[in-house]
Amino acid sequence: MSHIPVAERRTKIISREQVFQWLAQLAGEMDLVAPIDVDGYIFYRKIDDADEVVLDYTKPVLSIKDVFFPPTDKLFLIEQPAGELKILPPAHSTKQVLFGVRPCDARGLQVLDAVFINTEPSDPYYTQRRDNSILIGMACHEMGATCFCTEMGSSPDDARDMDLMLTEVDGGYTLESITERGSQLLKRFSLALDDFSTKNTAESALPISRYPYPSQERWLDHFSDNYWEDMAERCLSCRACAYVCPTCRCFDVRDEIQTGDDGSQIYARIRCWDSCTGYAYRRIAGGHNPRPENAQRLRNRLYCKFFYFSQQYGPDACTGCGRCIDVCPVGVDITEVLQQIAGITVGEQNNPEEVGVL
Amino acid sequence: MTAVTHNDMLPELGALATIKELGAEIKLFSVRLLNGGRQDYLPGQFAFLSAFGVGEAPFGIASARDNGGTLDFAIQRLGSVTTRLHELGEGDIIGIRGPLGNCFPMEQFKGKNLIVLGGGIGGAPLRPVIQTVLKQRSEYGQLTILWAARHPSLLVFTDEYDEWREAPDTKLHLTVDQPDSKWDHNVGLITELLERVAPEPENAVTITCGPPIMIYHVNKMLVERLGYLPEQNYVTLEARMHCGLGKCGRCNLGEKLVCVDGPVFTMNDVGEMLESYL
Amino acid sequence: MYRPKIIAFLCTWCSYTGADTAGIARLKSPAHFRAVRVPCSGRVSPELIMRTFDQGADGVLVLGCHIGECHYDSGNHRTAKRIPVLKSLLEFAGLEPQRLRLDWVSASEGERFSRIATEFCNEILDLGPVRWRVNEDRYRAGKVDKQPISDYDQPVFNQAVLDKQTDDMRKSARELLRSNQVDCVIGYEEDQRGRTRPTFIYNPDDCSRLVWNKNCTHNLAGYLSKKLNPGLTKSSERTSLSIAVVVKPCDSRTINVQLAEKVYQREQLHIIGMTCSGVQEQPRSTGHLPSAQTPPLQGRCLDCSDRIPLVYDTLVGDSPDYIPDSKGISPRALKITQLNAMAPAERMDVWLREFDRCIRCYACRQACPLCECPTCLYERDDSLWVSAANGWDGVGLNEKRTFHLGRAYHLAGRCIGCDECERACPVGIPISYLNQMLAREMETLYHHQAGDSVAPTPFVTILSGEERFL
Repeated sequence: MSHIPVAERRTKIISREQVFQWLAQLAGEMDLVAPIDVDGYIFYRKIDDADEVVLDYTKPVLSIKDVFFPPTDKLFLIEQPAGELKILPPAHSTKQVLFGVRPCDARGLQVLDAVFINTEPSDPYYTQRRDNSILIGMACHEMGATCFCTEMGSSPDDARDMDLMLTEVDGGYTLESITERGSQLLKRFSLALDDFSTKNTAESALPISRYPYPSQERWLDHFSDNYWEDMAERCLSCRACAYVCPTCRCFDVRDEIQTGDDGSQIYARIRCWDSCTGYAYRRIAGGHNPRPENAQRLRNRLYCKFFYFSQQYGPDACTGCGRCIDVCPVGVDITEVLQQIAGITVGEQNNPEEVGVL
Repeated sequence: MTAVTHNDMLPELGALATIKELGAEIKLFSVRLLNGGRQDYLPGQFAFLSAFGVGEAPFGIASARDNGGTLDFAIQRLGSVTTRLHELGEGDIIGIRGPLGNCFPMEQFKGKNLIVLGGGIGGAPLRPVIQTVLKQRSEYGQLTILWAARHPSLLVFTDEYDEWREAPDTKLHLTVDQPDSKWDHNVGLITELLERVAPEPENAVTITCGPPIMIYHVNKMLVERLGYLPEQNYVTLEARMHCGLGKCGRCNLGEKLVCVDGPVFTMNDVGEMLESYL
Repeated sequence: MYRPKIIAFLCTWCSYTGADTAGIARLKSPAHFRAVRVPCSGRVSPELIMRTFDQGADGVLVLGCHIGECHYDSGNHRTAKRIPVLKSLLEFAGLEPQRLRLDWVSASEGERFSRIATEFCNEILDLGPVRWRVNEDRYRAGKVDKQPISDYDQPVFNQAVLDKQTDDMRKSARELLRSNQVDCVIGYEEDQRGRTRPTFIYNPDDCSRLVWNKNCTHNLAGYLSKKLNPGLTKSSERTSLSIAVVVKPCDSRTINVQLAEKVYQREQLHIIGMTCSGVQEQPRSTGHLPSAQTPPLQGRCLDCSDRIPLVYDTLVGDSPDYIPDSKGISPRALKITQLNAMAPAERMDVWLREFDRCIRCYACRQACPLCECPTCLYERDDSLWVSAANGWDGVGLNEKRTFHLGRAYHLAGRCIGCDECERACPVGIPISYLNQMLAREMETLYHHQAGDSVAPTPFVTILSGEERFL
């Protein structure tokens, strides 16, 4: 994906009405994924009717991850006709355009790329979907109360992971070509767009830095803190945080029967979302479980995000989207963890007499 | 366009060439790949075996290369995949993905005295080490094998013990926690046995595989009482795995992934890990 | 041509033999029948029946011994109580109730068997092929109406009352810790974002963290089993011998159910009961721009008439003056009425559309104070009852529906309606409607309201003889 040098990028201005016209054209030619309202909740969904697209939203409930790494992915099918065994590979993915992608979600894809594409062996399922997709980003108007993308090195108008980028201005949006592929896509549609001469320096979104970003050494120092038990006491191991997260990618693999309508039985080997916060995540058949305590699991998830993942794959596994803070039913707060690691006391510690053994 | 030429989640097909009873609920499966396939595996590596329709699970490869064109796996029946495998018969088709993981540094072991400690089914991934040493006997120093189990019925590869004993400069010590009426070897923990028979630490390496608690106590004995350094003690760890390729994220111990950074580690590596394998 | 697939679960001792008797006597029985022999009709679990419909059955017939004649004494008592409720639940999800039938046939009643079987088959023929199993990609039908607005009083939170309760609660907690009556107090605190969340206090001096306000929505009784009974969850972290817990009236009902299920001993608990006039709707992250409206009372609070906890050791607060006269007209109650008025097919579409969003995170289950099975039936490694498939396709949708219906069913007669499950759901599936509907059934059929006293769900007890349907 070749980036167009910043100085050479052409920026157009597009009105809201023109956006919908363009989306209608896109939907007519290829698969279009965009934010829509589903019973009161905003999701990125494949759509047929461009009028469904929502342009005013904060963050869709689920990140864009599920388009590339679906909650259930069929790896292959196993047929056993007349005693013989056949493995059938899955269908190929088709070309698609993703519209309205928030910068934190596109950053999440970079993190997933580090695991699935850039580290051998590449995952063909994810890679194919990624190669077949064009990202049209939408800058955030403002940062939400739980957002901290700026701490994680991004910003509400971060365009570097997109192919095309829209940023809200008076009269509509600026539409900037970031990569060759984005530029090519734009050329295919005969939109009468004016050039946008003055580059809007993102006045619409004021990046706010509110939380610390602790160094790696800090994480090493705090591994055995009582703090993990304090936080885990309220944690329900509900896994909602991992599922809404743009970067969490732990998966389960299992064989499941797929009964056809004609009664034929074939098996599918599927992989589905899982999370290290579940009790049985590391339990083996003999019963041994190296992380029986909630505190160990919660600590593992956070250390994976800010320490382990980068050691293995490069980037940190967090984009600062804040969805985990939004969905946690009991107030576990990842920014509080960052503060704790950075050495900022958050409230009072509730240490019991004994030190927890982790 | 990123060209991906292979799909490492797709298993190859293998036939169960022979199935042998090894012990109580333990069977030895010899798998012959249907299309020839990769035969370049090394001691310590593992493979995923698929019981199609149930799932797949990782198992240590229990044979050295040149095993007559088959790979051996010693499998104890414990969960859904192993139960299904135990139900299969000779000739049945399974899936196999591998070899995966790192290996024991057999080249580095040359010229050294080796102490091999196997606990129960943990003996399975150590068998290729023993076989490799016996095949090139003169290239390695003393070989001391300590083989333990909770009960004699759980000892594996019993019909190979004579071959091991009779090899030059090789000693085999057996011990069980609970003997039966026919048992006439040691009774007691492997650590007690180790204390009695361990060679000097100089120019020696230890290779241990067994339940986590056994690994812990063996290493403790070696380091605290017998003068071994952690970097002389090699272990192969197990963890629940679902991909074996470093993708699914499940098998991490701290920042290390057991499937790609292991399963072979020195106890020095293990000591540096943030998380405990216990 | 429509050939109905009918599965009949027949118990070995009575109805299966009854079917045999019919055969021996050459009585006419329908050909569309497939019999599955079970040891007792009590074995026919909801999962089994739902799986049967998921696999494409047009009708399911369950035949057991007459009441009083069960080979296992009271196995059929369970069947008698459970199947009617399952029928209601499946009906609520859009399956015609006539497709599931329960009846009693003894070993000698060949004619009776023949008659019932023929009747049932004819009925299934008339109903036509079942519409239950979904095959299509991404469910788009069944658009859901916006929530109806009802005329109920806006909540009036008396801050002075709440502050006094906070002070008294803190005093109580401090004293309990100081005198070592308990070693931990589970209550509420405010985090640095101003949100209220559960907290665990071990030192008397930390009691100043405790708060009582209109956002104390969490059901803290959910932490009790983990803290008091480590064996249940195989965890040893910070278990306590005795605990004080802050509860609302609804949460106190949970404690009654937990005591009935012997999760812990009453003596291990000091209950700090708060009088309550409701908590307000918590902000939900929907992706829409946030609204500045004052949140209303939670739906469950509007349907609640408890003001004082049903069980407590220390009572904090006076009986509140404010009692909204709104029982039964909360948005949730109206929605259930609306759903019940729909045709089954339309209702099914509505539910499928809701379940489509599910991502099987199991947050609902984890948030539930009573869902405590060490290995959840629906998350077994062998996918025995429900597949792990949770994607956006037909397979996933069937499985997601079965999971939710099954889990709601497992809570029938136990669920006290705290709605934590619905609050925890990241995609806003209205699970509470299922629980509420089942609670009504249990009340109508068995005069049972979960948590009224230390009594288990009627599903585990034998018939009292006063049941409406006998």
